Amino acid sequence: MLSLNARLLLAASIVSVAFLSFTGFALDRAFTDSGIVAVKEKLQTEIYSLLAAADSDDVSTLVMPEKHPDTRFSTPASGIYAEIISDEGRVIWRSDSMLGVQIAFEKINEKGVPQFTENKTAMGMPLYTLGLGVMWEVAPFIERGYSFYVAETQQHFENERKRFRKSLASWLSAAVFALLFVQAIILRWGLSPLRKVATEVNEIEAGRQTELSSGYPQEIDRLATNLNALIRTSNSQLKRYRNALGDLAHSLKTPLTVLRNIVEAGNLPRDIQSTVSEQVERLDKTVEYQLQKAVASGRKVFSAPIKIQEVAQKLLNTFKKVYVEKQIRYSLNLNGDLTFIGDEGDLMEILGNLTDNACKWCTNRVSISAYTTNEKVLTLEVEDDGPGIAREVRESILKRGVRADSQVEGHGIGLAVVRNLVEEVYQGKLKITDSDLGGARISVILKK
Amino acid sequence: MRLLLIEDEEPLSDQISKSLREAGFAVDVALSGKDGLYLGNEYPIDIAVVDLGLPDISGIEVIQQWRQSNKSFPVLILTARGRWEEKVTGLEAGADDYLVKPFHMEELVARLRALIRRSAGFADAKINMGRYILDTSAQKMIMDNQEIDVTAFEYKVLEYLVLHANEVVSKSELSEHLYEDDFDRDSNVLEVIVGRLRKKLDPDKSFNPIETLRGRGYRFRSTDQQTG
Repeated sequence: MLSLNARLLLAASIVSVAFLSFTGFALDRAFTDSGIVAVKEKLQTEIYSLLAAADSDDVSTLVMPEKHPDTRFSTPASGIYAEIISDEGRVIWRSDSMLGVQIAFEKINEKGVPQFTENKTAMGMPLYTLGLGVMWEVAPFIERGYSFYVAETQQHFENERKRFRKSLASWLSAAVFALLFVQAIILRWGLSPLRKVATEVNEIEAGRQTELSSGYPQEIDRLATNLNALIRTSNSQLKRYRNALGDLAHSLKTPLTVLRNIVEAGNLPRDIQSTVSEQVERLDKTVEYQLQKAVASGRKVFSAPIKIQEVAQKLLNTFKKVYVEKQIRYSLNLNGDLTFIGDEGDLMEILGNLTDNACKWCTNRVSISAYTTNEKVLTLEVEDDGPGIAREVRESILKRGVRADSQVEGHGIGLAVVRNLVEEVYQGKLKITDSDLGGARISVILKK
Repeated sequence: MRLLLIEDEEPLSDQISKSLREAGFAVDVALSGKDGLYLGNEYPIDIAVVDLGLPDISGIEVIQQWRQSNKSFPVLILTARGRWEEKVTGLEAGADDYLVKPFHMEELVARLRALIRRSAGFADAKINMGRYILDTSAQKMIMDNQEIDVTAFEYKVLEYLVLHANEVVSKSELSEHLYEDDFDRDSNVLEVIVGRLRKKLDPDKSFNPIETLRGRGYRFRSTDQQTG
């Protein structure tokens, strides 16, 4: 996806280049047109000067003076040529400049109307020619038809046009660059609020800022305000929700503890005691599981990436205290930069429950590892050197429901909570395999 | 061993304190975080049980404040929620173990005994003192592989002395840690108990495991002290 800046810059560039190209084309056409008009006028002037110089001799023929005032006509290959042909096809006069140059002039169609054409010498040199047919009164009452032709090489004009085009191109391209530069600056300035939003969102995600600052242009001010409101409510809602659940847990668990203690005191009739005991147990597991499930938040808006190592280290510190008697050797195999996108509490819940099970079942080794594959899949693994989990029960352990009576000691509520978090909340996968340490390896596979 | 229990729910705190007294602890009860914080700071507490869901100051804060004023007695937290976040926060604040409600009383007692033993520097539940082995989980004293018949209170005195082996324990310290605050203390009772223990531990008066240091107190002498 092209960025907004790139899109606008690309569009603006295309438009500017197209517009300036068209301008260039139009200017070139205008120059050519006016240039040709100028050539025509010049040639016409030449013809008039020829007409002025022409005279008729005593045998009623048109004659030209030996020396023409315009010296270019008498300089060979000067680039300007003239010829006078009678209607009978006889060449009356040719300028000295035509020496060695052959030009086939076009026939004049109508007398008195200047006829402008482009032509070529026999050698292929391009020319502009102007022809004018006149009736000349060579003697009283005797009129003869003559065609006056003047030709000029296109060389001069072409040279001039080249010069013009060259300077036009350099000016226009300078204009294009200046325009693009100005546009880039305008875009930068115009889009800077959007860039600021992006930077601030990054800062919020990194946890260095809690909300967007104020003072955005009106088009996105509302967006920023609403975004702030969203961040605030989602954070405070989660907090309130968790606090409420915590209170609920406390107010449910305390009576349950009291009940259980009464049952365990053993003053009740045996049948009542076992029933109450079972029901209390079930109530406890259900409350526990449902609360755990409810508190999972999943990926929040603007959740900062959580460093897995920090969470794992905190948990290990806890386990080192709690399982101090077992003298477990813990190993943590993961890159310090590895992150988890989601809620820290959820990650702690996943790793905590799995590691707790591992500590319960291990002989004396527990390992936590994490790695990514293709930067897209995050795998968390908790292993132990305990008895492991038999192949035939793996499936059923993972599939087991929430029913308290279907829980196995040690892989009880903990694994059910992890399964819910991994599969329902984070759309990942849970896998049980054999560990190289000798016990079970529980793998959590999450999409990044 | 003197234990401080902070639990705001009276029915539960009654139950817990009753069970713990039966298990041989001298229990002081606080029904609020503030009271608990004060008792922990002022009383010679050996171990504390703190509920995290207290109405006034949170259990976490109470533990933090104790640790800040260098109170090093072990603390076990009771939490209603099994969230690891909460357990980790509790242990980071300075607690040593946790139990999730509802819990079994036996489990609570076992954990507390283990914590006390560990805080005294013994890694194993059976504390080996050469001729004698104190089995802290079974609450028994064994001499030359023979169990010695001691009463519950005699065991308490013996346990305190063994956990502080090779240290001088004054009579007032002993009574402070074995009786609750509102108990009518009589130091003569302790003298009688120590005398009885001497007879039981050293019938032929050859070994003399409990020394009397005149004017200072008692000292359990161990030849083979296993520390953890």
